[in-house]
Formats: sequence, C-alpha cells, structure tokens
Amino acid sequence: MIKLVRRRLAVAVPVLFATSIGMFLLGAASPMDPAMQYAGATAFTTDPANLAQIRANWGVDDPLPVQYARWLGNLFQGDLGWSTSRHEPVGAVIAARAGWTLLLIGVTLAVVLAGSLLLGTIAAYRRGGLFDRGIRAAAYAVESMPVFWLALAAIAVFALALGWFPAGGLTDVTATSTTFGDVAHHLVLPVAVLTVSQAPWFLLFVRDSVADSLRDDHVLAARARGLRGRTVLFGHALRTALLPFLTLVGTHLPELVGGSVLVETVFSLPGLGAVSVQAALGSDFPLLAAITLITTAVVLLANLCTDLAYTAADPRVRIDG
Amino acid sequence: MADRTLLRAAQLTLVAALGATLLVPVIWPLDQSAVDLAHVGLSPSPGHPGGTDDLGRDVLHRSIYGLRVSVLVGIVAALAASLLGGIVGGLAGLLGGWTDRVLMRLIDTLAALPHLLLGIFIVAMLRPSLGAVILSIGLTHWLSTARIVRSELLSLRTRPFIDAAIAGGASRRRVLTRHLLPHVLPKIALATTLMIPHAVWHETSLSFLGLGLPPHLASLGNMINDGQRSLLTGSWWASIVPGLLIIVVTLAIAALATRWRDRLDPRARAELDL
Amino acid sequence: MLRRTLPLTLALLTAVSLTACSNPDAGTASSSTKPLVVATAGEPDTLNPILGYGTDGASLIFDGLVARDAQNTLIPALAAELPVVNGTTVTAELRGGVTFHDGTALTADDVVFTYRSVMDPEVDSLLRSDLDMLDKVEATDASTVVFTLKYAYAPFLQRLVLGIVPAKALTGQDINKAAFNRQPVGTGPYQVTAWTPGDKLQLTANDTWWGGKPATSAVVVAFVADDNVRAQRTRAGEFDAVELAPKLATPFPGFGVHKVPTADYRGVMLPMKNPVTGDLAVRKALNVAADRSAMVTGVLAGAGEPAYGPVPPTSEYAEPSVAGTGSADTAAAGKLLDDAGWTAGADGIRAKNGQRATFTLMYPATDSLRKELALAVTADAKKAGIEIKPEGLTWDAITPRMRSDALIMGFGNPYDPDFVSYKLFRSDFAEQGYYNPGSYHSAVVDQALQDGRSRPDNRKDAYTTFQKQLAADVPWIFLTYLQHTYVVRDGVNGVSPRVEAHEHGVENSIWWNLHTWTRA
Repeated sequence: MIKLVRRRLAVAVPVLFATSIGMFLLGAASPMDPAMQYAGATAFTTDPANLAQIRANWGVDDPLPVQYARWLGNLFQGDLGWSTSRHEPVGAVIAARAGWTLLLIGVTLAVVLAGSLLLGTIAAYRRGGLFDRGIRAAAYAVESMPVFWLALAAIAVFALALGWFPAGGLTDVTATSTTFGDVAHHLVLPVAVLTVSQAPWFLLFVRDSVADSLRDDHVLAARARGLRGRTVLFGHALRTALLPFLTLVGTHLPELVGGSVLVETVFSLPGLGAVSVQAALGSDFPLLAAITLITTAVVLLANLCTDLAYTAADPRVRIDG
Repeated sequence: MADRTLLRAAQLTLVAALGATLLVPVIWPLDQSAVDLAHVGLSPSPGHPGGTDDLGRDVLHRSIYGLRVSVLVGIVAALAASLLGGIVGGLAGLLGGWTDRVLMRLIDTLAALPHLLLGIFIVAMLRPSLGAVILSIGLTHWLSTARIVRSELLSLRTRPFIDAAIAGGASRRRVLTRHLLPHVLPKIALATTLMIPHAVWHETSLSFLGLGLPPHLASLGNMINDGQRSLLTGSWWASIVPGLLIIVVTLAIAALATRWRDRLDPRARAELDL
Repeated sequence: MLRRTLPLTLALLTAVSLTACSNPDAGTASSSTKPLVVATAGEPDTLNPILGYGTDGASLIFDGLVARDAQNTLIPALAAELPVVNGTTVTAELRGGVTFHDGTALTADDVVFTYRSVMDPEVDSLLRSDLDMLDKVEATDASTVVFTLKYAYAPFLQRLVLGIVPAKALTGQDINKAAFNRQPVGTGPYQVTAWTPGDKLQLTANDTWWGGKPATSAVVVAFVADDNVRAQRTRAGEFDAVELAPKLATPFPGFGVHKVPTADYRGVMLPMKNPVTGDLAVRKALNVAADRSAMVTGVLAGAGEPAYGPVPPTSEYAEPSVAGTGSADTAAAGKLLDDAGWTAGADGIRAKNGQRATFTLMYPATDSLRKELALAVTADAKKAGIEIKPEGLTWDAITPRMRSDALIMGFGNPYDPDFVSYKLFRSDFAEQGYYNPGSYHSAVVDQALQDGRSRPDNRKDAYTTFQKQLAADVPWIFLTYLQHTYVVRDGVNGVSPRVEAHEHGVENSIWWNLHTWTRA
C-alpha cells in the first residue's frame, strides 16, 4: 500500500506538468484578448494603441514557450503570478476564495454520500416498491432540471415565500464580521441545492449496484447460509456495490465543482467558481493554470484515497498502478 | 400492472414528442428570428396554448422546436461520449497492464479538470454554435462511462463463471460477446440514458453563462433562461412550458431505458428476494 | 479500511470548514445605525481612479478637481473654483484644508501624480485614450496645478472629475499591482473598510469630509451579477436601492421604482462596405421602418424613449429637428426602396441588379437587451422587404467582422457631445478598434466635430450641423435611449436622480449623492 502511494506520487508530478502545459495550450488557442477583457465596457472608447501598450506590459503577446517558462520560473519561487482578470496576485485570489468553495463542496459531498448510500440501499432492498419508484422518478426528474433553476426555485420558496433562509451572499449584507452561525445560515440553501442536484447520479448508482449485487453468487450464498436480511444487505450486498460506487465519487468530484460554479453564481458566493468562469472567458492564464493545478492535485489525492478504499472494499482487486 | 401503464405512458410520450418534432416543422414552420411586440407576455389561451413570451413569440411552438434542438444535442452528445468512453474503458479493462495504466492516468488527468469549465473553454475556442456545444459535451462526458466499463470488466475477470467459460474452451470472442458484453452494455445504456438529460442540462448551463447556442435560437435551454425573468414578473408559462417538456421527455426516455436494461440483463430472473 | 477512511474524510472536511470559517475579517462594528445597502451588477476591478475607477466622478471614495451637481453641471470640488481655461493652458487652484482619509493634506503634487500616472505607458490605464489632448501637468506651487494641452479642447474641464489619489501612497510602487488598488485612500465622503470580492464593499463615512459630514455613517455596496438573483434578493428585502432590468423593476410593497433618464443609447451600426447597408436608400428605409415605440413598450417595458441621434434630448446641444414620431412608416420605407430600384421578389425580399436586400446583424450573445432589439429590427425590416439575419456572437468573433456586418452597439454620456461622437463618426478613426468600424465618411461631419472641440464660441452650431448631416447619411439607426430603472426602499430620502451615462455601477448611479441620503 505504501508502494502504491509512492508510485502514485511519482505519477502525479508529470500529470501536473502535463496539465499546466495543456492549460497554456488551450489558452493560446483561445481567440480572446485579455486586454479587451480587462477593459470591459471601456474597450469601446479606448484607443487600440492604448490596448496594445497594455498587452505589451503584460507580455501576453510573447511566444507561448517564453510565457510558460516565465510562469514556471516564478512558480518555483512560490509566485503564482498576476491575475489579469482579477487584478490581484493569483495567490491572493485563491487564498480569499478557495476556502469557501471547499467548504461548499465538502459539506455537500458529505451529505450526498451519506444520503445516497442510505436511500439507494433502501430503494434497492425494496426495489419495485413505492419508495423505490418514487425516489427513482424524483432522481430522474431532478437530473433533468438545470441547477440554477433549482436554485432560483429554492430562493423563491425558502427565501421569498417562507423567509427561512437568506437569498444569497455569504454573510448578512450588513454584517461587519464573519461568524459561524451567519455563514452556516447562508450556506443551508446553496448546500441543499447542490446536494439535490448532485445526488441523483450517486443515488441511482448505489440503488442499481446494490440491486445487482443482491443477485450475486456470494450474496446468494450468504443468504443461503441463513444470515439475516439486514446483515446480508449491509454486510455483503452494499459492500460489493461500494466498489464501483467509489470510482464514481472520484469521477464526480469535478462535476461537483462544475455545479458549484453555477450555485456560487446564483447565490452570489465569493468562491472560486465565478472567478474561474471569468478567468476562462478572459484568457487569464496564470489564474486558470493555478486553479487547474490545485483542482488536479486535489482530485489526484481523492483518487488515491478511492483506490486505497477500493482494495479494502473488494479484496479480489489488486491495484498495481 | 402500474409498471406496464407507466411504460405505455412513456412510450406514448416519446412517440408524441417525436411526432411533434418531426411534423411541426412541415405543417407549422417557425421563423426563428420573428417577434411580435404587439402581443408580449400573453397568458395561455386557445390561440396560444403555451402563452407568448417577452417578445410576443408563441411559447408552445418554440418549445417544440426547442425540444428538437435540445434532444438532438443531448442524444448526439451522449452517444459520442458513450462510444468514446466504451472504447477507452473497454481497452483498459480488457487489455489491462500497461495500456490500462496509461489510459487510467489519462482519464485521471482529464477527470481532474472540472468539465463544465473545460466545456466552457471548448465552446469559447470554437465560438458558441450547435456543433461546439455538442463537441464540448461529448468530449467532457466520456470519462465516467470509461471508468464504469473498466471497473465492471476488471470485476468480471475475477468472477468464477468467466473462468469456467474459458476453462470450458470458449473462444475469446465468445467470452466477450456472450459473457462480458451482456454485463457491460446495460451499464453503458444506463450511463447514456442518464447522460441525455445531463447533456441538455449542460446546454442550459452554458446558455446561463452566456456560452450556449445562439441566444435567439429556440432551444429549451435558451427558452428557460429567457423565461427565468418572466417567473418574477408573473408570466410563469414562458419557462414552465419548456421546463416541463424537458422533464417529461427525460422521464420517458429514462423509463424506457431502464426497462430495456432489465431485458438485456441475462441474470434478471435469478433475483433474490430478501 | 473503509471504516477507517470515512472518519478521516469527515475529519478533513471539518478541518477545512474550520479553516474557512476562521478567515479573519477586516471589518469592525462601529456604528449603531443600520448601514444603507445598495446593490449593483457590476463589480469594479479596481478601486484606483488611475486604473479606471470612477472615471466619470461620483465615486463615493474619491473627489476630482471638479464634480457634477444634480443637473450634471460642473461645480468645483477639490479645486477652490472652476479651473480657468486660457487657450491650451488650464489652471486649477486647490481648495485649502482638504485631507485624505489617512490624515495627510492634499497638495498640488497629488494632482500632478494622479494625472502623470494615467499618462505613464507603464501603467495599465485605459484613461490615456480620454486624455490624449493632455501634453503635460505641473505644480507651480503647493496649491496650483497647470495643465498644458496639445490643442485647444473645449470640454477639457469635464475630464477633471477624475478622482485624486495621494502621491505618497503610490510613489515608487508598481501602480498596476499596488495594494492600494484594493484598499484605497481618497478624500471622498466615504472610506473603504473592507472589500470582499464577489460579495460586497463596506464603506464608512469620512466625518471630516470637506463637503460636510455624510448623513449616513455606513454604506454597503453588494455585488450581484445576475439580474434575476438581484431581483429576488431585492424582494427578500436585502437592499435599500438596487438597479434592475426594466421588466423586473416593478413596484412592490415597501419599495418604489425610479426611471432615470440617460444618454445611454442603442442603435444599429451600418457598415458602408457592405453592398446592402452601404446603399443610402436601404439605410434610410431601415430608419423609417423601425418601430421605436414598439421597442420601448415591448422590449424596454416603457423604460426608454425613441432615439434619432447620438445627442440625447436632455442635452443643450440636441437638435430638435432630428426627431420622429416613434412609430414605423413601412409605406415610406417601401417608397424609398422602390424609387432606388430595390424591387420585391417572389418571397417578398427586395433585390436590385441581382443584389438581394439581405445582411447580417450581429449582437453580443450575452446581452439580452441587444438581442431583443436585434430581433425587433429584423421583424421591422422584413415588413419593408429587407431580410436581416441576426447572429449572436462573442466580442472576439464580432470584432473582425464589424467592417462588413451590421452590429447593435450602445454608447453615450450626457456630459459632452464630443466625448463619444468625435471618435465614432470621424473618418480618420475608420476601422480603428470600435471607433467608426463601419468606415462612415463625411467631410461635413469631420469638420463639424473638429469645430465642436476647438472653437468654444460656436459649439452649438457645430453640433447642429453634425446632427443634421448624420440624420441625412444614416450611418447608424438610432433606436432607443434607455432609462435606467432602480428600485428604492420607501422612506429613503434625498434620492435625486440625474441624467446617467452608459457606464454606471458603484459610482455614478442613482446613488451618486448617497452621502446626503437619510432613512426614515
């Protein structure tokens, strides 16, 4: 297992390199002009020479290898670069926002995992029953609803009609400090919306996998040995079903990040999501590269954890990656 | 009993939807850029069963056109993604070893990028258009299918019945088509089915962020976005009609696909009742 | 193993949440009264005037040498009196006893530093384009600043609304990356307490402001980019004043609507190099075929008025003969086209000498107002036998096509007719970025615009000539002047809307005089 960790780390470095190069290539292929993005509406009343001077100041017209080497050199000195779309050091942008995105995603993931394992197993246990059908119908229905639609509906019901939760923001708009209770109160709706929108994939998968494994030989055998239904369900069927489920968690992390982009937009949360879109649209290489690298690192770590859990959950699989 | 009724309803829905999307352009063509500012925001009436939107356009008429576009986007993108995912996952799971390792690292790397962002980038590069949206969805959604296929194959390879088949002298081809494929296909089918609504979701999200299909084109995503504003001003129909259309059609597709999977699964009859 | 990883994951998540929650916050509770909360879509990129914050003044945090009152008339601010213009020399005497938020005194060096920084090519400032008439700026003593212009420029005083920064805070630094840009120090009625990007800007009153102690001690500017979300949060009662799209700005209990007149126009730029839009008869026909009244009621929900030229009707330079009824005259359009030899084909679309009357009209895909106007123009043109193909694109796709395809554009500020029009309609700016992309060329217009800026005694005549010639040549179809619509809480006193510019946000919106607002 230590060998696995070491080999994975050896692979991670080239992967991160490849990712950063890929990001720069994508950025180079993008037709967008960062100076135009910087200028915003002012671009229309700005002298083209003025814009050209700014591009020259930034060195964004330099050959790509030059830009990349410059970026890499600074990276080794601990400088992530200057964000042209946010007008701040990239480090500052990330420091100010990453925590909130991680919090949103982390809490959501915990709720989604717990909820889908529980509900999915129950649905599989009583498959064909009212609960199973209801929850599957709901899952398919939710799948087809755009996240921002759910979010707007949630705001309409819980913030406007009932007044239980705030409609957006991270803290009360007049608050002068950040308190735990205030943030928690503001995060209820975003987390709920993100959870509901992300849960169907997980839930349907757990339900199908558990239902499948209930027909598996070793589960059949366990039942034949006279073990109790609940023991078979959670001890054998769920355990077998966990294997593909765990891979799904790994693959779905970026999906969750994508959902958080939209949820952050609707609830005006100051996370990484909104700046990522801005960075992508504004060809802000340094910020994009940094965000990509961090996400990649986090996901690689998550994958490692997944694989470790994978070997534990199904002893028949040996991973030599 | 109820199952059969539901299935029948799903079939009817799909047939009706298919018929409408195929026939309406012939009998009632839509001028995508037409507006009628004298009839803005009318509530549903016999003349306009779905009401009219912000620009006086018939909501039902445009919704049917939108369904055409969105379902086309969804199906083509989901098929492309599943094909790509099935091939890559199949290669990894069947060949194993070095190929598996390289492919899995590739998938890890791509999977580590939030695909909505990657999609935004692809669309931004290709400029928003029908093809760009399809490509951006197809190219970012094959990873989970590939992983599911691979892990299913990995798990199957260790199953006794495969060993038994090989020991019994079955050819590689026979093992693949008779034993492996029937197990893997339902998973792919399920993934594809679930991807169709997801692809429509993706199209809407791209529109929400301003990078979807050309905004005056009648697609369900564009219409829901345009209609959002109407929700607040009281003309709910402008976003509810296209929204319901997506949900109903999606549910119908999912119901049929699930049934199809159950038929495909050779072990369905060996179900154990706990 | 799983039993061991799950608690670990949870512990990790808890750790993450704790770190995130313990983020230090710069704000400290000081005032007992509830702050005034205003909400806007656009968040500034920087709070440094040198880099473009508050170009048009009313920035809340900074003051310029001059400011504008409720009628947009220039009044002295940091200058003791309106600066004196003498040919190409402009002299400003500073008001005495003004201090920055950090307590240091304002001197002429601060003014010189501000303007020199804007002109420094190393500084990523877009204001250089606005100050291209400025040759040099010098301090002749501690309270006198002399601007020397390259050429006589009548509206120069309008450019002196730019906020003044303290030289001491920025000297020797890379202004593009200075911490000042996010934690600025100005002389204005409010100072920055904290800026949470993507969320809000917190301001507290500068009680020693030279203009008098602000009536409200704390202000929050919330940034909510999405129109619908802003509308929903307004209805949830979070904001005291907010800008909303016209269709969303409907009165509801406890709140009232302000429709503020603007110089913010939308129109169709018609390129001369396109074989269809290059034909004067087609341009004139499109101009009379456009149903501007229907656009105002249908697209703008009544928050606007028909536009016929780039000088807003509220301006003293507006030419009354350049006007219309607002409604479409399809018959007149048809006659114009018939007379010019554009005859209708079998499908109703006209053609002349084998050239079909069809062209592409581009609009920025993310701008739903321009999309709706593009579709409205398309429908009106079709009635006159001209086929328009609307295309929603990103700006980078639009830019290379502007010289041959029509485009929905928007500009305008109420301060001076020279500001936008000089570069937009003069032939020497043809195809320079967004200046005159359609290559409009008229010697009369060129001369009139030149006279307007260089002959201060005869500006009215010059701009009358300009507007009449533009109406005759129709290089643009001006469609509507917008009204910016705001929703303001009942009981907020002191709201005094003034004619607004195309660009407005934290600064220069209905809350330009926020320091005098009170709440019942």
